[in-house]
Amino acid sequence: MSDVLLIRETLRSWITERSRKSLPSPLLDDTALIEQGILSSVQVMDVILLIERMRNRPVEVDELKPGSFRDINSIVRTFFQGEA
Amino acid sequence: MASDELKATVQKLSDRSRQAYANPYTSLDFPASVPVGQDWFTSPELISIAGTPDYESLEDVQKRTISFYDAINFFSLNIHGEKALLEGLARRLYDPNLKDLSPYLHHFLDEENKHMVYFGEFCTRYGGKVYRDRKVIFPRDYAAGEEDFLFFARVLIFEEIVDFFNRRMGSDERLNQVARQINQMHHDDESRHLVFGRKVVKELFEKFRTVWSPEILEGVRSAVSAHYSAVWREYYNPDAYGDAGLPDPYGIAERAFSGAEAPRALRQKASKASVDYLIGLGVLEKEPAL
Repeated sequence: MSDVLLIRETLRSWITERSRKSLPSPLLDDTALIEQGILSSVQVMDVILLIERMRNRPVEVDELKPGSFRDINSIVRTFFQGEA
Repeated sequence: MASDELKATVQKLSDRSRQAYANPYTSLDFPASVPVGQDWFTSPELISIAGTPDYESLEDVQKRTISFYDAINFFSLNIHGEKALLEGLARRLYDPNLKDLSPYLHHFLDEENKHMVYFGEFCTRYGGKVYRDRKVIFPRDYAAGEEDFLFFARVLIFEEIVDFFNRRMGSDERLNQVARQINQMHHDDESRHLVFGRKVVKELFEKFRTVWSPEILEGVRSAVSAHYSAVWREYYNPDAYGDAGLPDPYGIAERAFSGAEAPRALRQKASKASVDYLIGLGVLEKEPAL
């Protein structure tokens, strides 16, 4: 599995496991995570920790743009550009 | 319009704040350096990972080192919490719906700013930094009174948890003197803020609970409950564990927050006062998952 596929798969299973909502299976990479209430503000903090752990670099929250966590595609584009 | 009881509280607390007016630049003597790895900076039983296998296997010097970086993290969390608090308080100053609170909001703002002076001094002088904040807030629409209520409820939760630590560490003679004094000074001011916070939360909840729909009320309960997780999530900071030289800092944070029994027991104990109060008011129907 390539790096980017592995990143997407890790994010997908992490979100599916942690979300309090019942989710479509499989969770699609363009499913709106915030808009549909799949991820809450509190859970985004956990996603940030997961991203930092996966890429071994900090996430500067102050530099985030609206939409960075919109869906899995946005997360990969924003935080794993080198790998994608 | 605030009740007569709340107006009297505002007057009484404002009087006390005037009497306790302090200069943060002269209230504390900051030595040039502190002995990291030698002194305790967080009470040993209040260290974020105390009681976990990750912690118990460490040497004494490593435990004392973590106590220092945990203190930097605790003070950093206070800075970030108080920054949000200052923004929210400043926005509400002379708000027509909260105008009776304004005399005390001036003191609240003043005192929170002063707290950040000594938290910031400790973090930058001895740790070389303030740990970053990972909180992200998504903008959303609110029902009447909902945003004000959630703001003050979140302040109450944060300040009551912080005060649990301040009270214990402010009188803990094992602690490095400057760390102990910061905790004590913060507790002295916060005791007034806690009284204010409880009165405001009670009054706003009683005013709006009858006008909120069941869905809004449910959303409010869920947001209050979720705030406990947000506050506690940041108590386990991988940056602090990394700076203390521990391997696998993210794993340590995850295990302490999600699995280990001792940190969970501490979270429950430190949250108990505010949880009991919010359940008593009917804001919460059950204890939040901690």
